[in-house]
Amino acid sequence: MSGELLNLTLRVWRQAGPAASGGFRDYQLRGVSTHMSFLEMLDVLNEQLHQAGEEPVAFDHDCREGLCGSCSLMINGQAHGPERGTTTCQLHMRRFRDGDTIVIEPWRATAFPVLRDLVVDRSAFDRIIQSGGYVSVNTGNAPDGNAIPVPGHLQELAMDAAACIGCGACVAACKNASAMLFVSAKVSQLAILPQGRPERNARVVRMVAQMDQEGFGSCTNTSECEAACPAEISVSNIARLNREYLRASMTAEF
Amino acid sequence: MNALVRILSLPACYLSRLPGCGPLVRACSTSVGQKILMAITGLSLCGFLVAHLAGNLKLFAGEQDFNQYAAMLHSLGPALAAAETGLFVVFVAHLGLALSTTAMSRAARTQAYEVMESKQGVFALPQGGASGWMLVTGAVVLVFLVCHLIDLRLKVNPFVDYRPAVAAGAAGSAGGHVNEFLAVRQVLTSSPSRYIYLLGLVALGIHLAHGVQSALQTLGISHRRWNPLFRLISLLFAWGIAVGFISLIAWAHAVNR
Amino acid sequence: MVRVASETLNSRVPEGPIQEKWDKHRFSLKLVNPANKRKFSVIVVGTGLAGGAAAASLAELGYGVKAFCFQDSGRRAHSIAAQGGINGAKNYQNDGDSIWRLFYDTVKGGDYRAREANVYRLAQVSNNIIDQCVAQGVPFAREYGGTLANRSFGGAQVSRTFYCRGQTGQQLLLGAYQALMRQVSLGRVRMFARREMMDLIVIDNVARGIVVRNMVTGEFEVHTADAVCLCTGGYGNVYYLSTNAKGCNVTAAWRCHRRGALFANPCYTQIHPTCIPVSGDYQSKLTLMSESLRNDGRVWVPRNAGDRRGAAEIPDGERDYFLERRYPAFGNLVPRDVASRAAKERCDRGFGVGDSGLAVYLDFRDAIRRDGEDAVRRKYGNLFHMYEKITADNPYSTPMRIYPAVHYTMGGLWVDYNLMSNIPGLYVLGEANFSDHGANRLGASALMQGLSDGYFVIPYTIGDHLAQAKLPKIPDDHPQCVQVRQDAESRVNSLLNIGGKKSADAFHRDLGHIMWDHCGMARTKSGLEGAVTRIRELRDEFWRNLRVPGSGKSLNQSLELAGRVADFLEFGELLAFDALHREESCGGHFREEYQTPEGEAKRNDADFSYVAAWESHGVGNEPTLHKEPLTFDYVLPSTRSYK
Repeated sequence: MSGELLNLTLRVWRQAGPAASGGFRDYQLRGVSTHMSFLEMLDVLNEQLHQAGEEPVAFDHDCREGLCGSCSLMINGQAHGPERGTTTCQLHMRRFRDGDTIVIEPWRATAFPVLRDLVVDRSAFDRIIQSGGYVSVNTGNAPDGNAIPVPGHLQELAMDAAACIGCGACVAACKNASAMLFVSAKVSQLAILPQGRPERNARVVRMVAQMDQEGFGSCTNTSECEAACPAEISVSNIARLNREYLRASMTAEF
Repeated sequence: MNALVRILSLPACYLSRLPGCGPLVRACSTSVGQKILMAITGLSLCGFLVAHLAGNLKLFAGEQDFNQYAAMLHSLGPALAAAETGLFVVFVAHLGLALSTTAMSRAARTQAYEVMESKQGVFALPQGGASGWMLVTGAVVLVFLVCHLIDLRLKVNPFVDYRPAVAAGAAGSAGGHVNEFLAVRQVLTSSPSRYIYLLGLVALGIHLAHGVQSALQTLGISHRRWNPLFRLISLLFAWGIAVGFISLIAWAHAVNR
Repeated sequence: MVRVASETLNSRVPEGPIQEKWDKHRFSLKLVNPANKRKFSVIVVGTGLAGGAAAASLAELGYGVKAFCFQDSGRRAHSIAAQGGINGAKNYQNDGDSIWRLFYDTVKGGDYRAREANVYRLAQVSNNIIDQCVAQGVPFAREYGGTLANRSFGGAQVSRTFYCRGQTGQQLLLGAYQALMRQVSLGRVRMFARREMMDLIVIDNVARGIVVRNMVTGEFEVHTADAVCLCTGGYGNVYYLSTNAKGCNVTAAWRCHRRGALFANPCYTQIHPTCIPVSGDYQSKLTLMSESLRNDGRVWVPRNAGDRRGAAEIPDGERDYFLERRYPAFGNLVPRDVASRAAKERCDRGFGVGDSGLAVYLDFRDAIRRDGEDAVRRKYGNLFHMYEKITADNPYSTPMRIYPAVHYTMGGLWVDYNLMSNIPGLYVLGEANFSDHGANRLGASALMQGLSDGYFVIPYTIGDHLAQAKLPKIPDDHPQCVQVRQDAESRVNSLLNIGGKKSADAFHRDLGHIMWDHCGMARTKSGLEGAVTRIRELRDEFWRNLRVPGSGKSLNQSLELAGRVADFLEFGELLAFDALHREESCGGHFREEYQTPEGEAKRNDADFSYVAAWESHGVGNEPTLHKEPLTFDYVLPSTRSYK
């Protein structure tokens, strides 16, 4: 139950601020329980740094249940570490071996500037949602929930896409730093559901334009995003975005 | 590179002034629009490859049949020139879009990772399989194509002996034209052309292996049930084209021996 | 012993039959002229269900809104982690549900410590919430024919819970977040992420703004407005280990309390019975496993204390299915507080399992034998997967180990029927207020309350204040703004300058131990008295021996935590004090002195049927108790029994 204990070398990106130049620092960590989560291992590192009078490593985290999308980290070159369908906060140290060196980097993308150490600014995602990732319905304006039936399988498809946690792993893992998986998940959810249909044309065109403006790369269909996505969003959503985009650009009246 | 991209975008600027086309051109200039155009131009080029391979397979049918086919093409005159021009435009557009989207992606990550590891498992090629080699294989195919045009369109490759083909043509074996059958055989058996061709065709196979299925995805042709079949067909198509052309090199060697 | 204010609190509940109160009240509330709405500005702190919904809805009405959150985006608030679902009295299942039944269940479930009128309103608007969320594109589960699906949840006898797989909170929050982002794009909301609220600005006894710290640059900012809505969630993290997100804190609410807002019923904390147990000292948070597991899982411990055999080796005769034994009628489905206390009782007596002895088994062996592994997988597959990921145990072959954990806090800032605190212009919404759940919250009601407050209550009630109050323009350099900002800055500087040795996290853990041991599932007079003393000692040590590395001029997570822990150290004392004063057992508050011979909670309606709202007199000084008497005209108090 107490598990084995690991001795690790951590190679962590340290950067004092957005404008500062950063670099890697190596830290030795001893006696890491295999039952710890990856973030708890970083907590231990930070307590050790605190004891040594150094500044702890800054990293984003909040719910530690794999849902809020706050945590990030490129772990040995893989977004959220080696396990599929898992966020960093749900990754446990039993995935590592005694004596391992673990390289920890922040998400790297022009649209996600580093704020400090492993913390990046993902507000680009907010601006993409602002550009059209919603249904324009004011509070109080809604018809009865059952007024428009939604076939069960479509609802499931929409839910698959809606499960996106907005962590940015798709961008981080993509060799082009493309945000297509994120954008397509929201476009898909709202294109599938009848509630989102009235705005589908304008939505896809605006969200793609915003995505480009934020400086994300283009999609080369390598599917690395799907493999890295902790919510296991499928690239079939990207195909749906492309369809929506084609339709909108050929027919829309704007 | 940015200057190049700007020059390449000039046609789009002019096109957008056509009545009704402004919004469409704008839609095509986004990252998604550019990829869609790449998919369309790529698949068009695939269409050309099919026609080209079908014609060239006449080599197996023998000298007379092949030369008749060549003569038929020559007889098309202005239509052939128009088709060649169209092909050239499509090719340049495909290339220009490749450079443009690559530039976009390079700018999207200016600081590289210390380590980067795929989560997709094992690939036949490093760097995430064929998709990681599109620019490289595309460049190799471009080099191959230039050589190919020098060899057989212009027929000015100093390493190739065109005399038998010209002589046979003059003797009337190909209706007054150069004997294309002999010219092809000559090119395919000479060095370094045959090596360049072999390399170029392997690169083409890799390029298409990702390119075709990627084009389908970009055009939104995706279905949970059919995707595995789409992938299989794409792969078969890619290597069918590549192996089809490579078989001609093998044939030339066999005949020459 | 406790200082009690002479006047009772006025909850401003409107007159009339309960079914008509809200409609009548909405008519009597003053309206703001549509053309004038844009002249008013509102601050919304927090972007969870309550905050996101409020900010979006107020902006839709035309008010100028400034929204603040400490996370990097409005989409990350901890509402996102709610798994089970949201109640709505739609009666789509034709199984006898109604607004009245939801109202009745909620008052009873709250152990008769909630305000009836608020609960009735909550049940009323529950239906609008479902409609609103569907219209926003929230993908609620549906039947094959396309109509909305429901499930029975938390022991309710009707199926009224709407859900999106195990991610209902996430989907509802994203719906509110998207509505908020739409208003941002329309220019009606200005969003300020990575801002921590440091203090409240009260001018002429009216809430007029807040001071926030920009967590990236370290700058302090003054934001003024005509009203402030606090939607900052609960205080469960005072226990250090809880199912709350790491960032959840009491600072915003506590700072308002220190500026005069009354804090009500802090001792009402909900302990959730089915969480994954602590595995070591390094544990940073606890993970909840959905309550639905108790529908098919059987809870047991070995009959012999200290039995160290593996679960499979213990024959049925030597297993104690203690919930089924104690509560034959409800068995494993007894309410959260009852199940939690029963598990604690077994573990305290040495029957617990696992390394720590602080766990009980939740066993699916019989369900698998009865229905087959596939059927169990279909129902609980994702939960089993999550459990296996965290513990590396396979729940299909070995029973899960579970233990109760702090999950939700019913207490919060005191508000009237309009959700306004005793400071005019300061509104408190969602988990941050105390209003609707009494002493215990029912499953799938938290999401309902957050959205009800944000979408359907505050848009009406805030107008009443804005239309009537005298609200002169406040410049950012108003003396009071400058003063509050200076106070906040000097508090941060003093944290940075202590120069001790211990980290804020270590203090937080120490506080958590005190709280869990003495103010947890079962409380005693002596334990609580000891806790008050020990919290004071710990607070003294904190201000002597804390060390915060780094500076205040940049992103400094140690500093953020230190500020929050400092407030938890003040708040924890109030929690213990409230628990000490409430000499009865009700809902989430269980005093060992007040139980039946069978160990069941003994409520004392004669003496404690009131809301305890505390007024601060500064750190270390005993607060004054303000009482709001509770009357039950429609749901008559009875003893809960699950035997």
